[in-house]
Amino acid sequence: MKDKIMQLSGPKKLAVVAFAFGFIAMFAGNPYDNTFTNVNTKEIALSSMNDADKISVSDLADWIIKAKADYKLVDLRSQEKFEEYFIPSAYNVLPVDLSTSGLMRNEKILLYGDDNVISAQAWFLLKSRGYKGVYILDGGINAWKDQILFPKLIADATPEQTIEFNKMKEVSLYFGGAPQENSEQVNKAEIKMPELKAPVQTNLTTAPKKKKREGC
Amino acid sequence: MTILTETLKNEKTAEKTTHIVVEKPYSNPYYTGFGLGLVLLAAFVIMGRGLGASGAISTVTAVTVNAVAPEHAQSNEFFRGYIGDGTTNPLKDWLVFEIIGVLVGGFISGALAGRNKITVEKGPRVSTRTRFIYAFVGGSLMGIGAKIARGCTSGQALTGGALLNVGSWAFMLAVFAGGYAVAYFVRRQWI
Amino acid sequence: MNAPFYKFGLFGMDISLVVAFIIGIGFGFALERGGFGNARILAAQFYFTNMRVLKVMFTAIVTAMLGVFYLSLIGWVDLSLVYVSETYLVPQIVGGLILGFGFIIGGYCPGTSFVSFATGRKDGLVFILGVVFGTFVIGELFPYITDFYYSSAMGKITLPDVFGVSYGMVVFAVVVMALGAFAAAEWGEKVMAKKNAGK
Repeated sequence: MKDKIMQLSGPKKLAVVAFAFGFIAMFAGNPYDNTFTNVNTKEIALSSMNDADKISVSDLADWIIKAKADYKLVDLRSQEKFEEYFIPSAYNVLPVDLSTSGLMRNEKILLYGDDNVISAQAWFLLKSRGYKGVYILDGGINAWKDQILFPKLIADATPEQTIEFNKMKEVSLYFGGAPQENSEQVNKAEIKMPELKAPVQTNLTTAPKKKKREGC
Repeated sequence: MTILTETLKNEKTAEKTTHIVVEKPYSNPYYTGFGLGLVLLAAFVIMGRGLGASGAISTVTAVTVNAVAPEHAQSNEFFRGYIGDGTTNPLKDWLVFEIIGVLVGGFISGALAGRNKITVEKGPRVSTRTRFIYAFVGGSLMGIGAKIARGCTSGQALTGGALLNVGSWAFMLAVFAGGYAVAYFVRRQWI
Repeated sequence: MNAPFYKFGLFGMDISLVVAFIIGIGFGFALERGGFGNARILAAQFYFTNMRVLKVMFTAIVTAMLGVFYLSLIGWVDLSLVYVSETYLVPQIVGGLILGFGFIIGGYCPGTSFVSFATGRKDGLVFILGVVFGTFVIGELFPYITDFYYSSAMGKITLPDVFGVSYGMVVFAVVVMALGAFAAAEWGEKVMAKKNAGK
């Protein structure tokens, strides 16, 4: 058998090799299923402990106002919730689509959900698949509502707290929010979410920032 | 001294003649295909994308239209897609640089094999002028088809073929079908 | 090893252009070696006298397909990060037919026309100008054909999805098909050579 193969011409040897590999391929499994990557569990555990990967909502508000563009803001909530309201410049990516969404491993990715739970899970998923700069918006959209859109001045505020509130007021108004000066009468249900100014961006690859398709 | 230059001259002319004479035959198609496959594989592994060609022409065309009539180009979805949002130079594009490489690579290969020469490829029965008309018409059809199909033989057939993309395989079969369907009517040009 | 390197952030945009240039050199070199800078050789495919196009193309497809398949299986390449263009079935078939007409009438495809131009073929240059013109025409017509252009969208879909079989089965089927096509091509060339010799 071996001798016979050795006697073949070069292209025929190639053909034999191709046939063999093709034959084995039938039993080899699905290449798209492959999910093993090297996970440095210790590094991941450490960075989740010391809050280094969390971004506060006020920092994010600051970035958006300054029009920083070196990060991708990812909304992990359902499409209905996203269409209702999203933080400006966010993309809607469901957790199941994360690995195929076109996010790049060299990008700074900031994740948010309703709170920290879903974003923490997504954070772990992306980290374990080799994404470098993954961050969590601390407190998620709830914190964004409480602190940015509808900040409250508590009744017995210290002067510092009042100054802080007045600063937040401007930020809040920038995002179309409604600062609450007399917190006690506020009925949460009556607060209207700000209108969406930006068009809904759901698809990362057709987003205007990316120039064009990768194909031929 | 004169003798030396004389011999040098002789050597040079000798070299020249051998260069003209030695036009090596094309390589074994299976080895070439294997090499081409490795280049494609390298593009997958290094870049996560395949090869392409018509995309580069589209970029250059869009940039040209944009230079001549910016408003017109911006109002057209197709051209705008290749010009981008103005933050980066549209010519700083992967496919444009790849095609510059293709020109260099083709030239090097042709030079090494002594196949570089200014000529026109055609069958013996047609004039150069006819050949040029056919080339231009064929090229125009190619430009139209490649855009509707979202790629050409490199971007769709080769790249998508290796990735088992459904659209690419349908495209590939259509290309061969289209070619064979018309081949009979233009045979004068080639044989 | 984490590949595709670019998508794992091993290098940025500027380096990627250098990579593009180097890969392009390899691409152009291989095309020229295969005889693809010569319109007569490309056209011969459609008259069954020289089946180089089929041989080179399918060998390349099989090589890259097997390579990327096994590299993904051993975990070196994350296949989900390799760009697969979306399928729009009807426009791609129609586009493919038009492209096929252009191929046999013009003698090149875009990639090979660059090689032919680089090796001094004037018809290659004319062909490139034709492609530029065609691209311009389709760009101008684009607003009128937008609906057709986006029709029969199927998303990112591969042959295993369509046939409902495993990826490996399709890989094997493609290898067998290619080997069969090579055998047929070798046989066909011999038949044609005999026929032409007998003329």
